[in-house]
Amino acid sequence: MFTSEQEFKKYLFYGIFILLFLILAFQFYNLQISKSSLYSEKSVENSVKIVTQFPVRGNIYDRDGRMIVDNRPAFSLYLIPSETTEKTIGTISELIDVHPDDIRKELRSAGRFQPVKVMRQVDIEKLTWIQENIVDLPGVEWKSEPKRHYVRRSGLAHLLGTLGEIDERELVSYPQLEPGDIVGKKAVEKTFDENMRGSKGFSFVKVDAAGRVVEQVYTKKTLRPSPGNHLYLTIDLRLQSFADSLLGDKRGALIAIDTRNGEILTLLSKPDYDVSKLSGVISSDIWDQLVNDPHHPLYDRACQSGYPPGSTYKLVAAIAALNENIIRPSRKNNCPGYFVIGNKTIRCWKPKGHGTLDLEGAIKNSCNVYFYQLGLLIGLDTWSKYSTLFHFGQKTGIELTNENPGLVPSLNYYEKVYGKGKWTKGMLANLAIGQGEVLVTPLQMVQFTLTLANRGILYTPHLGLKLVNPLNREESKFKSESVKIEGIHSQVFDVVLEGMREVVDGGTGVWAAVYGIPSAGKTGTAQNPHGEDHAWYIGFAPFENPEIAICVLVENGGSGGGVSAPIAGKYLKRYFHYQGKYDYEVEKKLWALAAAKKDSIAAAQDSLGIVHSDSTALQN
Amino acid sequence: MFQYLKNIDFILLLAVVGLIFLGLMALYSSSHPSLDAGFGNNYFLKQVIWILIGFGLIIILYFLPNRWIYASAYYFYGLSLFFLLLVIFVGKMGQGAERWLQIGPVSFQPSEFAKFATILAVAKFLSRDEANPNHIPDFLIASIFVVVPFTMIIRQPDLGTSMVFLAISLPMFFWAGLKLSNLLLIAMPIFIILASFHFFTFLVLMLILVVYLVLSHRSKLILISNFLLNIVMGLLTPVLWNNLKPYQRNRIKIFLNPESDPRGAGYQIIQSKVAIGSGGGLGKGFMQGSQTQLRFLPEQHTDFIYAVVGEELGFLGALTGLTLFFVLLIRGVQIASMVKNKFNSIVAVGIVTVIAFHMIINIGMTIGLFPVTGLPLPFISYGGSAMVTNLVMIGILLNFYKNRYEY
Repeated sequence: MFTSEQEFKKYLFYGIFILLFLILAFQFYNLQISKSSLYSEKSVENSVKIVTQFPVRGNIYDRDGRMIVDNRPAFSLYLIPSETTEKTIGTISELIDVHPDDIRKELRSAGRFQPVKVMRQVDIEKLTWIQENIVDLPGVEWKSEPKRHYVRRSGLAHLLGTLGEIDERELVSYPQLEPGDIVGKKAVEKTFDENMRGSKGFSFVKVDAAGRVVEQVYTKKTLRPSPGNHLYLTIDLRLQSFADSLLGDKRGALIAIDTRNGEILTLLSKPDYDVSKLSGVISSDIWDQLVNDPHHPLYDRACQSGYPPGSTYKLVAAIAALNENIIRPSRKNNCPGYFVIGNKTIRCWKPKGHGTLDLEGAIKNSCNVYFYQLGLLIGLDTWSKYSTLFHFGQKTGIELTNENPGLVPSLNYYEKVYGKGKWTKGMLANLAIGQGEVLVTPLQMVQFTLTLANRGILYTPHLGLKLVNPLNREESKFKSESVKIEGIHSQVFDVVLEGMREVVDGGTGVWAAVYGIPSAGKTGTAQNPHGEDHAWYIGFAPFENPEIAICVLVENGGSGGGVSAPIAGKYLKRYFHYQGKYDYEVEKKLWALAAAKKDSIAAAQDSLGIVHSDSTALQN
Repeated sequence: MFQYLKNIDFILLLAVVGLIFLGLMALYSSSHPSLDAGFGNNYFLKQVIWILIGFGLIIILYFLPNRWIYASAYYFYGLSLFFLLLVIFVGKMGQGAERWLQIGPVSFQPSEFAKFATILAVAKFLSRDEANPNHIPDFLIASIFVVVPFTMIIRQPDLGTSMVFLAISLPMFFWAGLKLSNLLLIAMPIFIILASFHFFTFLVLMLILVVYLVLSHRSKLILISNFLLNIVMGLLTPVLWNNLKPYQRNRIKIFLNPESDPRGAGYQIIQSKVAIGSGGGLGKGFMQGSQTQLRFLPEQHTDFIYAVVGEELGFLGALTGLTLFFVLLIRGVQIASMVKNKFNSIVAVGIVTVIAFHMIINIGMTIGLFPVTGLPLPFISYGGSAMVTNLVMIGILLNFYKNRYEY
């Protein structure tokens, strides 16, 4: 058997074994020495899992610290794909009313051990049932997640906005967030999302291959979640609720703003909806109901829709005419109750006519004929220029989503729509009284009123007052931004503001008057193609050293002076009442006394020992 | 007494004992009772019992008269075929394949036993004085010894184990006198099979074959039959591929690209490589491997047990195991060379080959060089049938060593 051939075979076997040994040894070297760190990382990734800890979203308060929104615990339901059985899927899908195929699809798209959120804000009854039957439901897990709780909700829906699960577009703009995270979807919740959101914490746990937690792991990367900042709004909750009760079932908006800094005290749009029903899991019934409501409660009338401003916009024409020296304030004009332009006759709102009026009188009585003529004198370019100068046709920059810029038609606009030279002078006359193509939002109107009250200084309307860090109570205030409207002569303001004062003092806006506090305003009754006129009122008070500007719009409400001015008046009284400058009782006594004695208010004041004020508003 | 000790091959024995200790460490670490309540079976204890039985058999085999082994070769072979037949009719299902036979409380895998029995039968047939594997009739009969269990096992189906039979036959034939040129000719279909999925490579290989055949001056019958065999093999393979069980096809596909299915079948290979790679030079320490202890490793007490060695004992441990295997294999070839008896010599080569094949395929699988086949690692993987069979084969080698001067 021992031949040299056999020796050869032996060495051939040796050779093959040595070769195989080297190949295997080399691969071990490759894995364990060359790529060791790579695989070490992978093995850590395998067994150490990040547990996300959700931050508590900041609360929302009003300007005086009254709580509007805070958070309550809610539970979300998760399934772990590696453990979930068909039976679990069946039971859960029945329980939460989701098709089992949808659950399967979600489970497939996730990692084997990655819990998949199948439902947010599970009913406590359902959760209890799951907890009792957990033995038969392998793979089911629940985690606590804070949920918005609305302490007060009347009249706040449009302002607060809603929360919802992040969508793909938002994921692109917030790269630090993950699918399933909750973000603000509308209004304040969206604008201040980054401030209120807080940041997630991460803890690390060691898990086995089945995803079961074996132990806590402490690393340098362990991070506690940091809660979001509390947001203090400029809103005065008492006034907001009061405004809500004033508008009641009416459709419209009420905005009040501090003229000294642009802080919005009230921002109300009616009708609205129960915000708690739209934040969280939205039931399709409620959603359908809201979407199909003929009054469009989801629509924010304060800033989302443009309306014809009606007579309130005569102020722009007046300023333009005066500032461009087109007329003198003393220019008199006779109003016979109608105005003939070309072959058309347009009527003033007062059929008998206002007689002879100067500019102040025309503002006070809101004479259409006077302003038709003024419109023709000014011309479209100048009208557009002054409209734009007062920031019409552009967004105010308030911290709300979906703000409408309105529309200030220019020469270009008309030539585009009607063709070169095809538009008529009648259209221009119409613009001067705030009809026609011009569209404004109530928010723009209140901003305009504020600018007038400040004689050209515009504060950007804003809702954010301050942010408070819940951990160290550190505050960061939002700054008021202002611009000066350049190039308006002081005398121009004198005339226009005096006209506005007279509107309240015996003019169309008497019902907006507040006893003891002289104010200024302008009514508007805007014709529109949707039925009854829109009722406008804008105003500010006190006349000297203004504090507050207000805009009331009642959609299809009728006359501005008859519908909106009284609402403004009641609101202003309440405002000054809170300021300690107005007393309901005193006014009541005065009226009673005046009625009993058939005497003048001034006499009644004297008998009550009240210092005689400048205002004669109540006498009208 | 001293005489007895002198006749024991301590090199072989120590290599085997070393491997068994390495295996027991890995097995304990990967299946100790505290790991999980699910491991109701105490694998470690069971394995120890099998090892004790195996060593008992080694002692018996050591003292067995050498001729008895030769005499009983065909009976063993017949018995193993009988068991394989039994599996076909009354087999117990396991992982999508019938491989187990239950006898009383013990279930065992007849295919393990058949490996050894086939080695004995082929060796007995080829060790006859007049036998010459270069002659077609002898070659064919020897091949039939191999093909019969191969066919019975491949239909269990157990592709990995059935391949073992093909793998051990050629080295044994070669050792028994098959010329290298003929060996290559016979091995040609294997290359043709591998090439058959790629038409151009297939064509080139066939061309080389034709040139080789023409230059080799053989009888026309051989030339033509070999040529036809290769052509048929090449054309048939894609058809056979389509007839493979989906899980078998998947295993090969996943092997070629484990990342294609990281959560499914590729999971095993990836986790195994992560375990070994993260072990580094010195390992994470006994019972400290996170991949093993947290059960990320699949089949960590059987097929992928060497990944436990790699993770917990590191490159050093892996290399130690490899070296022990290397020593065992080289020693086996040395025994095959030193024994005077031709039957013993061929059997020794068969044993060496079968251990080598399992080792290469299994370790190659855990480090991502070969597809997942389910072949256990000799002396290391948990499993009674394999452990006992392997120890019996070692007992045979020790017997051969003791009787190395006998003709």
